[in-house]
Amino acid sequence: MSYFPWLTIIVVFPIFAGSSIFFLPHRGNKVVRWYTIGICLLELLITTYAFCYHFQLDDPLIQLEEDFKWINIFDFHWRLGIDGLSIGPILLTGFITTLATLAAWPVTRDSRLFHFLMLAMYSGQIGSFSSRDLLLFFIMWELELIPVYLLLSMWGGKKRLYSATKFILYTAGGSIFLLIGVLGMGLYGSNEPTLNFETLANQSYPVALEIILYFGFLIAYAVKSPIIPLHTWLPDTHGEAHYSTCMLLAGILLKMGAYGLIRINMEFLSHAHSIFSPWLVIVGTIQIIYAASTSLGQRNLKKRIAYSSISHMGFTIIGIGSITNTGLNGAILQLLSHGFIGAALFFLGGTSCDRIRLVYLDEMGGISIPMPKIFTMFSSFSMASLALPGMSGFVAESVVFFGIITSPKYLLIPKILITFVMAIGMILTPIYSLSMSRQMFYGYKLFNLPNSFFVDSGPRELFISICIFFPVIAIGLYPDLVISLSVDKVQAILSNYYDR
Amino acid sequence: MEHTYQYAWIIPFLPLPVTISIGLGLLLVPTATKNIRRMWAFPSVLLLSIAMFFSVNLSIQQINGSLIYQYLWSWTINNDFSLEFGYFIDPLTSIMLILITTVGIMVLIYSDNYMSHDQGYLRFFAYMSFSNASMLGLVTSSNLIQIYIFWELVGMCSYLLIGFWFTRPIAASACQKAFVTNRVGDFGLLLGILGFYWITGSFEFRDLFETFNKLIHNNEVNFLFATLCAFLLFLGAVAKSAQFPLHIWLPDAMEGPTPISALIHAATMVAAGIFLVARLLPLFTSIPYIMNLISLIGVITLLLGATLALAQRDIKRSLAYSTMSQLGYMMLALGLGSYRAALFHLITHAYSKALLFLGSGSIIHSMEPLVGYSPDKSQNMVFMGGLTRYVPITRTTFLLGTLSLCGIPPLACFWSKDEILSESWLYSPIFAVIACFTAGLTAFYMFRVYLLTFEGYLHVNFQNYSGAQNNSFYSISLWGKEVPKAINKNLLFSTTMNNNESVYFFPKNTYQFDGNVKNQMRYFTTRFLKKYTSMYPHESDNTMLFPLLILVVFTLFVGFIGIAFGQGETDLDLLSKWLAPSKNLLHPNSDYSIDWYEFLTNASFSVSIAFFGIFVASIFYGSAYSSFKNLDLINSFIKIGPKRTFLDKIVNIIYNWSYNRGYIDFFYTRVVIRSIRGLAKLTHFFDRCIIDGITNSVGVISFFAGEVIKYLVGGGRISSYLFLYLSFVLIFLLICFLFLSL
Repeated sequence: MSYFPWLTIIVVFPIFAGSSIFFLPHRGNKVVRWYTIGICLLELLITTYAFCYHFQLDDPLIQLEEDFKWINIFDFHWRLGIDGLSIGPILLTGFITTLATLAAWPVTRDSRLFHFLMLAMYSGQIGSFSSRDLLLFFIMWELELIPVYLLLSMWGGKKRLYSATKFILYTAGGSIFLLIGVLGMGLYGSNEPTLNFETLANQSYPVALEIILYFGFLIAYAVKSPIIPLHTWLPDTHGEAHYSTCMLLAGILLKMGAYGLIRINMEFLSHAHSIFSPWLVIVGTIQIIYAASTSLGQRNLKKRIAYSSISHMGFTIIGIGSITNTGLNGAILQLLSHGFIGAALFFLGGTSCDRIRLVYLDEMGGISIPMPKIFTMFSSFSMASLALPGMSGFVAESVVFFGIITSPKYLLIPKILITFVMAIGMILTPIYSLSMSRQMFYGYKLFNLPNSFFVDSGPRELFISICIFFPVIAIGLYPDLVISLSVDKVQAILSNYYDR
Repeated sequence: MEHTYQYAWIIPFLPLPVTISIGLGLLLVPTATKNIRRMWAFPSVLLLSIAMFFSVNLSIQQINGSLIYQYLWSWTINNDFSLEFGYFIDPLTSIMLILITTVGIMVLIYSDNYMSHDQGYLRFFAYMSFSNASMLGLVTSSNLIQIYIFWELVGMCSYLLIGFWFTRPIAASACQKAFVTNRVGDFGLLLGILGFYWITGSFEFRDLFETFNKLIHNNEVNFLFATLCAFLLFLGAVAKSAQFPLHIWLPDAMEGPTPISALIHAATMVAAGIFLVARLLPLFTSIPYIMNLISLIGVITLLLGATLALAQRDIKRSLAYSTMSQLGYMMLALGLGSYRAALFHLITHAYSKALLFLGSGSIIHSMEPLVGYSPDKSQNMVFMGGLTRYVPITRTTFLLGTLSLCGIPPLACFWSKDEILSESWLYSPIFAVIACFTAGLTAFYMFRVYLLTFEGYLHVNFQNYSGAQNNSFYSISLWGKEVPKAINKNLLFSTTMNNNESVYFFPKNTYQFDGNVKNQMRYFTTRFLKKYTSMYPHESDNTMLFPLLILVVFTLFVGFIGIAFGQGETDLDLLSKWLAPSKNLLHPNSDYSIDWYEFLTNASFSVSIAFFGIFVASIFYGSAYSSFKNLDLINSFIKIGPKRTFLDKIVNIIYNWSYNRGYIDFFYTRVVIRSIRGLAKLTHFFDRCIIDGITNSVGVISFFAGEVIKYLVGGGRISSYLFLYLSFVLIFLLICFLFLSL
């Protein structure tokens, strides 16, 4: 097979193409928008092409591998590669970023910078999903923080500076632990620093060090994921950000935490993971209930959706903690499924908030008659988010349920308790999501705003929501579509655990 | 004829194209889709009739050959577990298929006319076809996961259809209430499924029953855990079939359009719980506690439903409570282990109740032009009366339905109810007494409905009676297009707010005769009278009457499938023949044969109870009763006699109990809703003030620390920095020196 650096192109292309936005002629925002969307689509096509023709699904090893020496002194390589675990998040990134760019159509202020930042984030996210070097992973992880910070602080709502500062402090605080973990892992053992994922996977550590390293990584991912009690940046950030930023945040950024948890903590620190996994399961269960009931108490629409996504991430954590084939597959499925559903909910909530110029749920009401299409899409997605069968959320959650049930690690009584509490979350979910859509759309209200004609969603917005709706239905009807991507890799990861 | 079995998988998919094409059409090309809107009824009826032919064919083969057919496809393949999809056809499935398709076709034809003026006509047909599809999928499913999937889907359809008129705040809260209550059941169902998967390692019914019975037999299973799991499975059925603790959603579900109440909330979806219990009966029979629990819940529900139906003012609500009570009968029969009686009652009740609901829809349709388009008025029996003259065909069909439900031979429900009653005598006398008493109550409340609606005089003009407090709100046209300017906005908003605040709308006692309401009423009636010149209700169109007549035929004759015409054990009746394989599964060597003498004594007893109920109802509400007075039960007692105060008290208590829905909704509002809200507030507070407060205070403290240091150190002069630096170095050196010298 002829060698071609597909992954390098995929990672580098958006940011380079994005920086040439500044050299485009000043002909209004339209040029910038079309240019960005073109770049996104091209990138998505390249990614799909590379994955279709140069990636074998039945091979659990790393593929499309690239290795260039970058900095000689401490053996730092530009090392990329993908496997079954990262292919799903990369495709999700491409898909959601393209749609978010399309959703950012109404952004007119500084649109050059905005679109450049979107593309920079694109690169950073794909880079962190595909890097095979610990330090490179860290750098990519940090790289996409800056665009998010700027997107938040420049195009947000009223309290944007507060929430942007909170976001950057939280994530930078988490990154310190990540850096400590990376350095500790890389410098341990031999004289030469080892940063390669493959050598790291076979390395073993003393138990105390492993636990410390695990904990460091866990904090970094817990901020990103988010895991309670490190979640408070999320509702503030989502409440203030523009909805296209929210789509990226909810769709992709939150997935990085869980991805890192699987990639580094599960793969490299298997011993510590089997010590920590009961705690992860407990925290995940608490998180489902806690975030769902906090979501009920929110007045702000976007914050309510934000808490709902925290609650959904609880399933991922439980799936990771269950240490079973099924559970881990379910966690990955839930990752992708929530990527679609969360992004769509933020998009629809954001657009309807912008139209009626209200953010508080108790002031809304009765907008279903002027906006039937948004109503239809919003109720479909809230059904998807409450795990209606036939949509992706149901499959993911039930697979996680099976994972925890079949897990050999736990005893009967804890299993019953955990399943029971998780299932209570299943009752709370419809309460908040349905009452959200009831407060927004149902009922009847006379609007006495000065210009109270509300436009229903146009073809562009309808296109975005239908585009997201298709994969949700497709995964729901035929989950093998996604599970088949990761199933071999998951088995390879878990073989570490079963051997002992 | 293996073909029919092979192609049976197509049945649940048949109604789907209508839903998909309407949905896509409405989203993408709304105007074109709306222009041909009446055309859409045709394909939906056609596809459902194809499904009906399939299922008739299947049932004929079931009756003759009695073979159970199962086919599976794998859905997800994993190393650890595999999910399979398939279909499973046995007598139970074929009975349910016929039931769903026949009632479904009738209701579709009916609703073409009923909904013809509604703006949501297309949406209605899309939802309806989807609910038919998922219901057909539910009954043909071959494993528990598939059951769960379709279980949720019918729940969603019910949610969408209850909230069909989403501009009504009451409908909005009713649909949410229905969904959440059903979700409580689904919670149990899912946990039960998982539990049994954990015990037996299978989702397939037959594997599951076999493995479980083997395990029970060998005592290899934790009995407590198995009981818990079975209870959780049963919880799903309790919620779906509106059994006692979770019945609260059914009466509120009447906010949906009437065809929906007929199809989903009387004939098919609420029967899904009965279906589930019947399907899993081999599992439940091996755990005696669960069987006792099922019959207990059944008895409580049938009594409660009947008492709550006694004083409802809304015609659909009282039918809903009656549905609940009849479902209780079926549950009781299942709890007694009498599979056949439960299914028989399921069939007969479905046709009779669908007939009654469609009849009430016809009444509502004819009342609407007179009293206004609000459920509080058009469904209020207070405004009805004497409709016999105006809607004779509806009246005849409604009377037949009522008689059937009361258990008057030879109508359908008589046969099945009698069977349940005689079974219960064998089981436990207490349950049997309650069941018989409730049969009398059934006759009473059904005839109350009938007499209030069709006898006496038309009460539309006696408007000094206020049906509800917030009727002004409902005088807005449904879709909000033509808002009458005369309504002042404050009133409108205040009512909206009230309804939004109480999620589970709980009607207070609405006996208000104050002048204000009266004036408003007069005002609105004059408005309506101006608008609609006709003073008298009209009979509905032929399209609506046709399904009624067909259902009358069913009500008349469907009872005969369960009667053996000949004597002896070889000559079984149709139903027993039909159910033969499932019976063998349950009771390997029990033969069902009727003793005619016993049958006659039982029958005469139950019929006499029913007649007694009808007699009492006609005393209270009959034509002798003067309709110029108020329509209260209480007031009618004034004429009766000297023991008035005592009777008054009792009747008052019963009346209040019934009108306030047994205070159960009140209890739920008080306890459950408040506690959930309290929890939400608490966690919100915790999140805001403690978790977020810690981070915020860290930020604030570091900010202040920076300020303090800046202040202490001084305004950034180099000399002060040098001074501090040198002094710390000196201190350090001093310490070093001291240590060294020591």
